[in-house]
Amino acid sequence: METKLNQIVIAAETAIKGAQSIHELMNLKSEYIGKKSEVMNVMKTLGSLSPEERPAVGKIINIAKQKIEALIDEKENDLKEKEYLKTLQDSKLDMGMPGYAIQYGSLHPLTIVWREIEDIFISMGFDIAEGYDIEDEFHNFDALNTPEDHPSRNLADTFYIKDDVLLRTQTSTVQIRTMEKYQPPIKIISPGRCYRNDRPDASHSPAFHQVEALVVDENITFQDLRDTLNTFVKKMFGSHMKSRFRPHFFPFTEPSAEIDISCVNCGGKGCAICKNSGWLEMGGAGMVDPNVLNKLGIDAEKYSGFAFGLGIDRITILKYNIPGLRILYENDIRFLKQFTFNN
Amino acid sequence: MRISYKWLKEYLDIDLSVEELKDKLTFSGIEVEAVHQSNELLDYIFIAEIKEKRNHPNSDHLSICQVFDGNETVQVVCGAPNCEQGQKIAFARVGTQIGDIVIKRTKLRGEESYGMICSERELGISENHEGILVLDNDAPIGKPLSRYLDIADTVFDVEITPNRADLLGMIGVARDLSAQLDLDMQYPLLKDYNRSDLGKYPVEIVEPELCTRYIANVIEGVTVTESPEWIKQCLIAGGIKPINNIVDITNYVTLEYGHPLHAFDKSFVEGGKIIIRKAHKGEKFPALDHNTYELNGNELVIADSVKPIALAGVIGGLNSHIQNSTVDIVLEAACFNPSQIRRTSSEKKIFTDSSYRFERGCSDKVAETVAQRAVDLILTICGGKLTQTNDIYPNPLDEIIVILRPSRVTKLLTLSLANSELISYLTGLGLELVKEDNDALSFKIPSWRKDLTREIDLIEEIIRLHGYNSIESKPEKHEITNKTSFYLRRKVQDFLVSQGFYEVLNLSFSDPAYFDLLSLQEDDYRRAAIEIMNPQGQASSIMRSTLLPGLLKNAVYNYNHGQENIKLFELNKVFFKSEKKLGTEKWVASAILSGNIGPIHWKNKTESVNFFYLKGIVESVLALFPLNKFQIEPCTEPFYQENLAAQIVVGKKVIGTFGKFDKKIADKFEFEKDIYGFEIDFTQCLEYQNKKGIIFTEIPKLQSVSRDISFIISKEHSVQKIVADIIQCNPKLIKEVIPFDEFTGKQIQSGFRSLSLNILIVPETKSLTDDYINGLINNIIDKLKSKYHIEMR
Ligand SMILES: [Zn+2]
Repeated sequence: METKLNQIVIAAETAIKGAQSIHELMNLKSEYIGKKSEVMNVMKTLGSLSPEERPAVGKIINIAKQKIEALIDEKENDLKEKEYLKTLQDSKLDMGMPGYAIQYGSLHPLTIVWREIEDIFISMGFDIAEGYDIEDEFHNFDALNTPEDHPSRNLADTFYIKDDVLLRTQTSTVQIRTMEKYQPPIKIISPGRCYRNDRPDASHSPAFHQVEALVVDENITFQDLRDTLNTFVKKMFGSHMKSRFRPHFFPFTEPSAEIDISCVNCGGKGCAICKNSGWLEMGGAGMVDPNVLNKLGIDAEKYSGFAFGLGIDRITILKYNIPGLRILYENDIRFLKQFTFNN
Repeated sequence: MRISYKWLKEYLDIDLSVEELKDKLTFSGIEVEAVHQSNELLDYIFIAEIKEKRNHPNSDHLSICQVFDGNETVQVVCGAPNCEQGQKIAFARVGTQIGDIVIKRTKLRGEESYGMICSERELGISENHEGILVLDNDAPIGKPLSRYLDIADTVFDVEITPNRADLLGMIGVARDLSAQLDLDMQYPLLKDYNRSDLGKYPVEIVEPELCTRYIANVIEGVTVTESPEWIKQCLIAGGIKPINNIVDITNYVTLEYGHPLHAFDKSFVEGGKIIIRKAHKGEKFPALDHNTYELNGNELVIADSVKPIALAGVIGGLNSHIQNSTVDIVLEAACFNPSQIRRTSSEKKIFTDSSYRFERGCSDKVAETVAQRAVDLILTICGGKLTQTNDIYPNPLDEIIVILRPSRVTKLLTLSLANSELISYLTGLGLELVKEDNDALSFKIPSWRKDLTREIDLIEEIIRLHGYNSIESKPEKHEITNKTSFYLRRKVQDFLVSQGFYEVLNLSFSDPAYFDLLSLQEDDYRRAAIEIMNPQGQASSIMRSTLLPGLLKNAVYNYNHGQENIKLFELNKVFFKSEKKLGTEKWVASAILSGNIGPIHWKNKTESVNFFYLKGIVESVLALFPLNKFQIEPCTEPFYQENLAAQIVVGKKVIGTFGKFDKKIADKFEFEKDIYGFEIDFTQCLEYQNKKGIIFTEIPKLQSVSRDISFIISKEHSVQKIVADIIQCNPKLIKEVIPFDEFTGKQIQSGFRSLSLNILIVPETKSLTDDYINGLINNIIDKLKSKYHIEMR
C-alpha cells in the first residue's frame, strides 16, 4: 500500500507541476485528495484494519495527503504570482496621453487685481465700503470741497443724468457717505467703477476702476498716510518697492500729494515705461481737509484723517505688463485665458 | 490651597457674599476651583441634655441615658466612656442622616435606643472619636448645633500660580484682598520678648547656600495635649489633621503665614546642637511618614551631633518628633533653597505641606515672624518657658527698590490713576513707599514678593488689583463691509470660473437699440433704463439694465476670432429708473454659453451645452447663497426659444431666467450657433438667502435602502410634481427621489415617456423589514397609478 501511495504522490507531483492555471490546479486537487480521490479511497479502508495497525497506516496516508497539499499550495502561489505579474504587464499604458481635462475659466485680470488690493487692505484692518455709481453733485463735488466753477464739473469731463445727478468721477463719494453715516474711527477702502467723459484710447476709458482709502481717528498723522501707502505698495508689488510724495493740489485734502512708486518694470533704474525717471505716477493722497470733516459733523479738532486714491486699471496693466487699457475691455478669451491660474 | 472664609475674617473686616468673594479672588488672579460649605449636617443635630444615666444591665461598656432634646425625653443607649449625667451633648434624632447612615430606632442588647449622642468625628468637626462631644453648660437645649458652635464656614479651594508663594498662607491672601478692596489688614499681634538674657542654643549652618537662615527657639516645660477647638477647626478647614497642640501650632502658623515650621523634642536632639548639613551617603533617616529613607548625600538635613532629625523643609523625623511625653522642644523656623527642596522632595517622592511651600520660595524675614508667632502661641496654649534662642542669618538680603512712573502706567494701561491710588494699591500689598518724586514713585519690595523686581511687575499688580475688566473699551470700528454680499459675489465668480467660465467686464453703457433686438415688450422692466444727458454716442447713451447684450457681443467677438466653445459670465451692476433720485442699482450675475461644455478629450467625451447643463449651473449658483425654496418653471422670456426658457421663482417673485436664445434673436446679434444664457438677480437672491447656517445633524445609524421604479407616464406631468407626491407618501422615511433615466421611442406611445426613479429610504429609529419597504413602494405605485395613470414597466 505504501508503494501505491508513493506512486500516487509521484503522479500528482508531475501533474501539479504541469498545471497552467488555478482552475486546472483545483481540478487536480479534487482528483488527488478530493472526496472521491484514490487517497481518500485508501483512507476508507482504514476501518477494516485492526486497531493496532490503524495508527501506523493512518500516518502513512496523512503524510501522502500532506505532501500533495503542500505541492498544490506551492503551485497555487506560483500561479498567483504569475497572474499578478501579468496584470502588471497588461496595465502598462501611455502615460503621455492627456489626463481628464478639467476646464478652468478665469477671473478678469481687473477682478484679480481688485481682489488682491481688497485683501491687502483687509489684512491691514480696513473695511470695504461700497456706494452708488450714479451719484448726486453734492457727494461727488460739493462735499469734497470742489469749487462751483471747477472744470471737472463740466459736461466735457463728467457724464450727467440730470442737472445734479451724475456718474461718479471718483469713489470719494463713498467716503463722504461713510462719514455721513458713521463717526470715527473709520478705516475703509472704497473700490469701484468711476466714469469720466474721456474718449477711449490706450490710457483712457470712459469707465474705469478706482480704489480710495479713508482713515479718520484720533491722532492720525501724515506719517500714518505714508506708512499705509508704503505697506500697500510693498505688499502689492514687492518688498523692494518704494513710494514717494510730490506736493500737489486736491480740493479734498490739505496737504495734498501725488504718489509715485518705483517703476514696476525697471525697479527704479529707468526704462521706457517710466520715461527713464524710475518712478511711476500712481494716484493722489493727502490729509483730509478739516473743512470736509467739519461739514460732515466730525470734530476736526479731535479727529484727523488721511485719504488716497489709486487706479485699479493702471495697477493691473502695470502688474501684467499689458500694453494699454483697450484690451482689458475687449474680453477676448485668448486674453482672459492667460489669467486662468492667477486667482 | 484651601482658604477658610471664617479664618480670613480674622485678618480682614470683610462682609462679602460667597459669590462676591469668589469673584474678587478670581479676578485678582486666584482661581477658585471649588467652594465647599462646611457641615450642613450640624443644622440637623440638636443640643440636648443627658437627664439621667445608668449602666446597661447586659453590658459593661454601654450605658442607658435619658436624653431631653427640648421636645421630649427619649432613651438612648450610648457606648462612650465619657458620657455623664447633666452633660450638654450633640444629639441626632431618629431619622437623621449622618454620612450614609440613617439613625433608626433600635434595640441594643435588649434595651431600646431612640437616637445617637455624637462624637466630634461623627459630626465631621474633628478626628476625635474617643468619646462624645461634650458642650459647655450654657449650650441652649433644642437649638441646632450649627447655631451654637460657631463653625459654619465656607472653604475655597484655590489654585495659586507658582510665582505667588506669598499667597500660600491665609495672611497673604488676606493682604491681597485688603489691597484690592482697600481694607485695613489686622495682623496677629506679636509679643516682644527680651531675648538678651536667654541662653544661646547651638546651631551650625554648614551649607549657607542651602539654608539661608535658621532660627531655633527652645521652650521648656510644655504640656503636650489636644489643641483648643479653634486651632483644630482652622487646621481641618485648611485640610490638615490635628495631632497635638505643639504640632498643631506649627501647622497653624504654616497655614497662617505660608511659611512652614517644625518642632523637635529637645530630649532627642543628641549633643544638644542643631547642624544643617548635607546628608552622609548611606545614612538612614526614619521619617514621620513611617518610612525609613536611605540618604545619598545630596539631601539637606537637620541633624543633631549624631543623626539626621529632619529632611530639611520636607519632613520631620520619627526619632525626634513631639509626643505626649514631650516636655522641652526646639522650635525651628528656617529658610531653605527652593531647588534643593524640590529635588529632595521629588527624589524621595515625599510631598508635604512644607515642601510644597518651601519649593516655591520663602522669605528670610517671614521666618523671623513665624518663629515669634509660634513661640507666642505655644507659650499661651502649651505653657512652658522660652529658655534659649538662636538666629543664624549669614547673608542678610539687600533691600530691593523699584521705581514706578505713573505716566508709564497710563501709557501701558490707558488708565489714569492718581498717585495716591497707585500708592494705596502697592502699599496694601506690603510695599513701602520710600520716595515720591513727580513721575517716579520708589517702592521698597517686601521680602515675600521676590516676583516683583521691575516696574512692569508693579504695573501688573496695579491692573490686577484694579481689575483687568475695568479698562474702558475704545470706540469700536464700525462694521462697514457688507460681508454677505462681498463674499458671495466672490463665491459666485469663483464657482463659475471653476466650471470653465471666463469672466468679462463690459462698460456700464449700453445701446437702447438692444431692447428691440431682444424683442422686449414695451412695458418690459429692462426698458426703464437710465439715460445719459451727454453720451458719447447712441451706442453708449444709457446705463445698462441687463448684462446679456454685452455678453452676446462678447460671444460674437470671440466666435469671430475663432472660439467655438464659449462660456462667459459677468457679475456686475445694472441700473433702473425709479422713484429714487439716483435710480436703482442692482447686482446681477449673467452668462452665455455656446459650443461644448468642456474641452475635447480622448477618453471623456464632452457634450454640447444643453438646457439641463445650463439648469445645473443655475441651480448650483443658487445653492451658493444658499437659496433653497425656489421653483423653476417655464416662462416666456421674449428672447429665449419657446419651450426652452425657464424662470426661477421665489414666492411670486421672479429672480432670474435662463434658456436657449431664440434662433431669430441670435441672428439679430449675428451669432449663428446655438447659444444659451442666464441672468440672475443677485441682489434679490441675497434677500431670499437662507440665513440659518449649518447645524450638525446626527449621521443615520441604520442602513438606508434604495429602490428603483420605472413606469410609462404621459408627457403632461412634470417630474417635480411626481417626486413631491412620492415624498409625500412618507416624508419621514423617503429622503430623496432621483430621476435616473428617461426615454421615449418606438416602443412607447407618442405623448408618453418612460421614467425611472431611484427612491432613497432612510430609517430613523428601527431597521425596516423587506415587507414594510415593499408595502411602502406599493403604496407609492398605487398613488401614481391613480393620480397619473402610470403603467409600470
Ligand atoms: Zn522703469
